[in-house]
Amino acid sequence: MVGADLRATAVPLRRLFAVSSVLFLLVLAISPAKNAFRPYRSLQRQYRKLASSRAHSLKAAQGYEARPVAIQQIWLRDFENRVDRCTTCHLGVADPLMAGAPRPFDLHPGTPHTPGGFDRFGCTSCHGGQGLATTQADAHGSTADAGPPMTPPVFIEAGCGRCHLSESVAGAPVLSRGRTLIARAGCYACHAVRGQDTFRSEAPPLATVPLKTGGEWVKRWLKDPKSIDPNATMPNFHLTDQAIDELSHFLFAVQVPKELAGRIEAAAAEPAGSSANGKKLVSESRCITCHTVEGKGKGTAPELSKIASTASRGWLLAFLREPQAFNPRTPMPRYHFSEAESRDIVAFLEEEFRDFDAPKGILEPLRVNQSLAENGRKLFRLYGCFSCHDPAGSASEKFGPELDGIGDKRAQSLDFGRRTDLARTLPAWLAAKLESPRSFADGLKMPSYGFNADDSRAVTTALLALGAQSVPDRYRYAPPQKPALLPGGPVGGLIQSYRCLSCHQIGDRGADVSTAPLTFEGSKVKRDWLVDYLMLSYTLRPILEERMPVLRMPRDDATQLADALQNFYVDPSLHEDPFAGRPASDADPAEGQRLYVGLGCRGCHILGSSGGYYGPPLTEAGKRLKPGWTYAWLKGPQRWRADVRCPDYGLSDTDALRLTAYLETLRPAASSAKPESAARGVR
Amino acid sequence: MKFRTAPLTLFVFLLVPGACARKPVTAAAKTPAAPAPLPYEARLGKITFTHYCETCHGESGAGDGFNAFNLDPHPRDLSDSQFQKKKSDAELADAIQRGGAGVGLSALMPPWGHTLSARQIDELVLYLRTLPTLRKPAP
Repeated sequence: MVGADLRATAVPLRRLFAVSSVLFLLVLAISPAKNAFRPYRSLQRQYRKLASSRAHSLKAAQGYEARPVAIQQIWLRDFENRVDRCTTCHLGVADPLMAGAPRPFDLHPGTPHTPGGFDRFGCTSCHGGQGLATTQADAHGSTADAGPPMTPPVFIEAGCGRCHLSESVAGAPVLSRGRTLIARAGCYACHAVRGQDTFRSEAPPLATVPLKTGGEWVKRWLKDPKSIDPNATMPNFHLTDQAIDELSHFLFAVQVPKELAGRIEAAAAEPAGSSANGKKLVSESRCITCHTVEGKGKGTAPELSKIASTASRGWLLAFLREPQAFNPRTPMPRYHFSEAESRDIVAFLEEEFRDFDAPKGILEPLRVNQSLAENGRKLFRLYGCFSCHDPAGSASEKFGPELDGIGDKRAQSLDFGRRTDLARTLPAWLAAKLESPRSFADGLKMPSYGFNADDSRAVTTALLALGAQSVPDRYRYAPPQKPALLPGGPVGGLIQSYRCLSCHQIGDRGADVSTAPLTFEGSKVKRDWLVDYLMLSYTLRPILEERMPVLRMPRDDATQLADALQNFYVDPSLHEDPFAGRPASDADPAEGQRLYVGLGCRGCHILGSSGGYYGPPLTEAGKRLKPGWTYAWLKGPQRWRADVRCPDYGLSDTDALRLTAYLETLRPAASSAKPESAARGVR
Repeated sequence: MKFRTAPLTLFVFLLVPGACARKPVTAAAKTPAAPAPLPYEARLGKITFTHYCETCHGESGAGDGFNAFNLDPHPRDLSDSQFQKKKSDAELADAIQRGGAGVGLSALMPPWGHTLSARQIDELVLYLRTLPTLRKPAP
């Protein structure tokens, strides 16, 4: 009975066992089968066929045919032990034979790191995506549970920015532009970013607003700064009329410092000047090197064509006489106009540079209502205005969220809010955030900057470069710092007051407006020429719109500055006399002149009455340049300024010396020794 | 009872590979639109062209740059497709490298071989080749 029962149950049990064993085997086979049908295997077979058909020799073709089908990978021990298997499918990235082949077999375009750098950089360090994955969807990151997706090709320079930390990165123009725009827009004032802790906005202090401008103007400005001045860096806060009103009352309730108020009021009481003389002075002073007038000029300083409807006469006069007293961080140099000359200039501005459509009372001061002003004070904090206009207040805490790591944010962790129209990707989110920051939800405070499509792409690229993890030290690159010697004392005071560094560079300090860095100016130009030039500067490069302003420097200041440049800013490796110890034939100017003609120097340089407009005129070369410098320049112009356009002709020592000797003979005729005066200045 | 477990087990086993397979999420890969960019090397070439060549050869390469009218002979019209067809890449690179004087033409075209690297010159040639296609049709 028991035995029969057992037998009866054993039959179905055995059947069940057999079926489940077969099923078990089938399940076991799933994984190898899946692997066998992975797309990369057929891709590798296709590649073998394609590559061997393109091979130049039978042996090479056999080599391709013999390659096993297997996962390929690049292991970067130094780079966080990164493993990139992209070359499992992208098989031809380093193979010149595969130029122009179809994706994914094509040769990688040449970049500073390819084709030579695959072993050092792999793929994901620039492109992002999941290096370990072996299917396209996982690797490129379009599956939900994969890591951050690849950087879209339009933003590829974000990859450069992960390691290259300087603002300007050679070979990455979009990234460089993005970083420049971020700094200029002042993003770092509100958003913390590693390495930008010392950033301070260039926004002016607001202490003199009540005496500078009028209530109507402030309201118009707050409504949309760029509509008043296209060069404005201040963004549009999209304020309501009530908020604008309250903020204006707050600004007019500010106590103007006594000393400045005294200057402005005294200047306002002065008699009017001569506008005709003012016109001449304005054109001589080359304001449009930095400012624009009706959009003309390359600079980014405030537009001047409506300045007299922006600022009161007293303020303009007092500011012009000592800009740095009003804004210690202004890039504007101090001009040495006489009292009467500054009156003339302001008279001209009042006559010509005004907004003729503006209402009459645009500069009428606002009668302060204290309760509105109190509300305005709260708004000033609420919108984070202090971040730019009162940098002391923003030093301790940043108003906006920090941006470090934003480039590695997952799209899932971003708040898209109302923007259901957007693709759920980080770049789309960033671009929308830049274009209309308030569109995501109510109550957001970020202002809009009016970036155009190109700017927005550049800024997004720079933001995507802010990775969550810092790259290993040996991969980080910031160009070596060139030492910048800045003297203190009276000379330091002069460099400050004339704001030499607003245009010129000394070492790594200063702006890049002028083509002439001052780092080795003492080795370059002769002292007497320099004194004359500082007192009455003229243009050395006729094609440039940026020109050295005529600062009306007194002789004492010019001498002191020239002496300091001659003593401090020299390259000790240059010989004052390059002809020392050379045969006399090397100093033959006639041979030099033949070279000048033969090499085609006149294509770029004016000499006498003819020549090109590219380089500086050489008519006065012998008066201006030291022979030691000329020789060193001819031997390699790019050593002095990496991007200089003067070609290196690869001259022999003898040829360079002969050319130097010839240039040394070029001096102005005696009659025009005291040059070119104001006539050149007037444009 | 016992036989009913077999289809059940089969069903469970079928679920297992089903669960293992990943369902790709279709993300609308719509990034902000941008005009089709030049290849990377040509873009670098364009930067070099703008910096060193444009003042004489002009933005479009037509030989109408700012400085062109001070030069006799005038700079070559590089956007001329007939001219481009006549010259091989190597010839163009050679003229850039050794200058006009080096290839028996005017010395007003300087030699760039000591200033630009071979790679930069190759990029430049790549960009020059795109000039005829960028050329605007005559109105």
